[in-house]
Amino acid sequence: MALRLQERYGFRIFISSAAFAFKALFSWLSPQMWLTQVFMLPLFEMAFFVYLAKFVEPSTANIAYIAVGNAMQTASFSSIFAVANLTSEEKWQGTLIPLIATPANRFPLFLGRATFQILNGIATIAVGFIYATYIYGVDMSNANFLALSLVIVITSLAMTGFGLMLGSVGLFMRTAMIIANVFLFVGNLLCGVNFPITLLPFWLQPVSYVIPMTYGTSAARAAVLGSNILQLTPILMQEVVTGLASIVVGYLLFIGFEKLAVRRGTLEEY
Amino acid sequence: MTPCPLGVSKLPLPSPQEKAITVTDLRRVYSSSKGVFRKTRNIVEAVRGISFDVGYGELFGLVGPNGAGKTTTIKMLTTLLTPTSGTARVLGYDIVADIMEIRRHIGIIFGGERGLYYRVSGRENLRYFADLYGVPFSRREKRINDLLQMVGLSDRADERVEGYSRGMKQRLHIAKGLVNDPPLIFMDEPTMGLDPEAARETRTMIKGVVKEGKTILLTTHYMFEADELCERIGVISGGRIVALDTPSALKRFVKDITVIEVEAFDVAEGDLAVLRQQSEVTAVNANLEGERQIIRVQTPRGSEFIPIITKLLSRAKIVDVRVKEPTLEDAYLKLVT
Amino acid sequence: MLNFFSDPQWIIPNIIAPFVFTAVGLIFFRNASGSLALYAVLGGGMMGMWGNTLYGAGFALAFDRWNGTLEYVLGTPSRLVWIVAGRSASSAVLGLVNAIAILVVALVGFNAQLGIVDPFGFLLALVLTLASLSALGVLFCSSFLLTRSAQVMTNGLEMPIYVASGSMFPIALLPFWSHPLSLSLAPTWGIDAMRHAASAAYTGMGFGFWLDLGVVFASTIVYLAVGFWLFIVVERKARQDASLGEY
Repeated sequence: MALRLQERYGFRIFISSAAFAFKALFSWLSPQMWLTQVFMLPLFEMAFFVYLAKFVEPSTANIAYIAVGNAMQTASFSSIFAVANLTSEEKWQGTLIPLIATPANRFPLFLGRATFQILNGIATIAVGFIYATYIYGVDMSNANFLALSLVIVITSLAMTGFGLMLGSVGLFMRTAMIIANVFLFVGNLLCGVNFPITLLPFWLQPVSYVIPMTYGTSAARAAVLGSNILQLTPILMQEVVTGLASIVVGYLLFIGFEKLAVRRGTLEEY
Repeated sequence: MTPCPLGVSKLPLPSPQEKAITVTDLRRVYSSSKGVFRKTRNIVEAVRGISFDVGYGELFGLVGPNGAGKTTTIKMLTTLLTPTSGTARVLGYDIVADIMEIRRHIGIIFGGERGLYYRVSGRENLRYFADLYGVPFSRREKRINDLLQMVGLSDRADERVEGYSRGMKQRLHIAKGLVNDPPLIFMDEPTMGLDPEAARETRTMIKGVVKEGKTILLTTHYMFEADELCERIGVISGGRIVALDTPSALKRFVKDITVIEVEAFDVAEGDLAVLRQQSEVTAVNANLEGERQIIRVQTPRGSEFIPIITKLLSRAKIVDVRVKEPTLEDAYLKLVT
Repeated sequence: MLNFFSDPQWIIPNIIAPFVFTAVGLIFFRNASGSLALYAVLGGGMMGMWGNTLYGAGFALAFDRWNGTLEYVLGTPSRLVWIVAGRSASSAVLGLVNAIAILVVALVGFNAQLGIVDPFGFLLALVLTLASLSALGVLFCSSFLLTRSAQVMTNGLEMPIYVASGSMFPIALLPFWSHPLSLSLAPTWGIDAMRHAASAAYTGMGFGFWLDLGVVFASTIVYLAVGFWLFIVVERKARQDASLGEY
């Protein structure tokens, strides 16, 4: 009755981590909180900037610019905040050590846990677009919905990758929450959500180019105006590249942290 | 609690000369630096060159006071800490070069309040770790049920861990440490913080696991526990192994010693110090039990030494004086102080 | 308040968000005339004040729930309501510091033009608005005491308040049916008053500076009265329900 352990089971780790994280690591997101996050937060955040736009420059084009940008930005709560907080959740519960003690392949472990938030991000953006169309009057008559859907999916994926990288950075810090909070809001400023990034001071602009959302907002607006997938390919490729780069950096930090902590003997501090 | 029907893992059966664990001159130094401009280095030698073996199927105990280096040693052997120098082989694998192989085939039970996902149930915790270890999917549920039954958590398995008592969490730790059916299990202070009832149950479980042919290395600072469970004991103190033998052999170390146990009130520290300085006193151990103090005096002199003791402690109120057989605890005290 | 400072990560969202929103606002207003930049800065300042108050009140109790100290706090001789009022007040001061910081950054970093016509009036409006925010915090706090999800509510309330109080734009832009709601919030009047004091040309809601302040003052009293009463009710009910120990 000996137990023969599986040899290659990376996919299983991925699925298992995805399902498990939903219950174990994200259940601080109670149903009420989740509903608030998906339906209420986008509504009011969009309202704030749309009304601000109406005050300053009430042209239809400007309103549409703001509404679409903010609809995309609504994903940041899931993909940035929730994902970056994964590591602080693990630290707080002391489960980093048992995880490291397992022989599990680190890559599917690293990625799998964020799966739910990718889906959550897509749902939130979709709700945001419903608001944009029916409440803030964005004209969707020319929109290429296939292209827009692709933009939404890619943005949610890429931003989740960015969130994972932030989470890995958070491994080395006392509180990852600070990073999570900063990037949750800073997207409003840096990602072409409310205005083109060319309006930012020159020393801030490079940061925008590292965040996938910057490309996502651009692509979303183009899709709403009617661009098809082929036309959007260049910008979507850029977004995919930044997303992948984030994942790679995040993963390297993750395994780097493990090696360093084991060598230094600092695992317990976390 | 029925013992879990575990089998030996798929590793080939070792020859009798092969050992489950071989440690050679293992050393671990921690260094930390304080201050930004004038850096002061603080160097702590937690483990100063220890060597020992553990055979297959053995229950080996690493005993020592707090800070002796037990936890550091066990962390190195479980690949959670890199040694500064020295080597060790666990199940034939090197602890630095073959980390993942070792992790697959060992069980780690560190216990404590943390280390479990508290928002999900015990069963779900076990399922996740079973997945992480690659326990075959078809066997997973049965394995988990068997483990839950063995540790006595079957009826509470589907409640969230945040509602578990300390003892229940410890039992879940044990189940989790066995989920991959490892031939070798490391336990760090398995009964620490448990009430006597839970501690006794834990020890029974440990004995059951060994009966199935597993090898166990456990650390503890309870001597009676080591005495009860272990076939061989390594006494570690100040980062070094000061004795390595079976419990009975270690007790023989103190066979010429008589232990005079004094039960008293209001014993002054100064008097104890004077007592310790007596040339015929090997060791003095004072413990507070409620309001009474129990003082164990080790001396080769035997019961004729009693009047001298009562004279030195005359300022205290002595309730009872007994002559006792030296225990492993006394041997340990002699070795460690 | 000390408890609060020992957990700085909770303050961060309330410092970051107002700063970011102010920066966005300033960029929005970059082409507008000088007095409009006022909107961005004042709005950001108000947001800083508000966020901290709400966090101070809501989270202070949440921490107590988590740490299990709520029962001890209730057991102290001084009434819970005064304790909470104290915390609300101190976090409003924190908010004030935040608001001033935003002002400074806006002036220095974004080179905003900000001239205040009536500094004394401005200060008066600021202080009264702060007081009303504290009072509002006390009011919210009592309901947080009963519900388990103080955090949910505080997360949910920030943005709606930013929108409804017209922190960065006139409430006239909002749908008409929301106006009663906006007008029931003291910060709406307070901000209007501050804008009056800052710019001579400002007409705003059309009620004038002193009426604004009057409403702020009156609302503060009302909030405190209701809050005080609610606390007595809640305290009694909570003791009966014994729901304080759980989280």
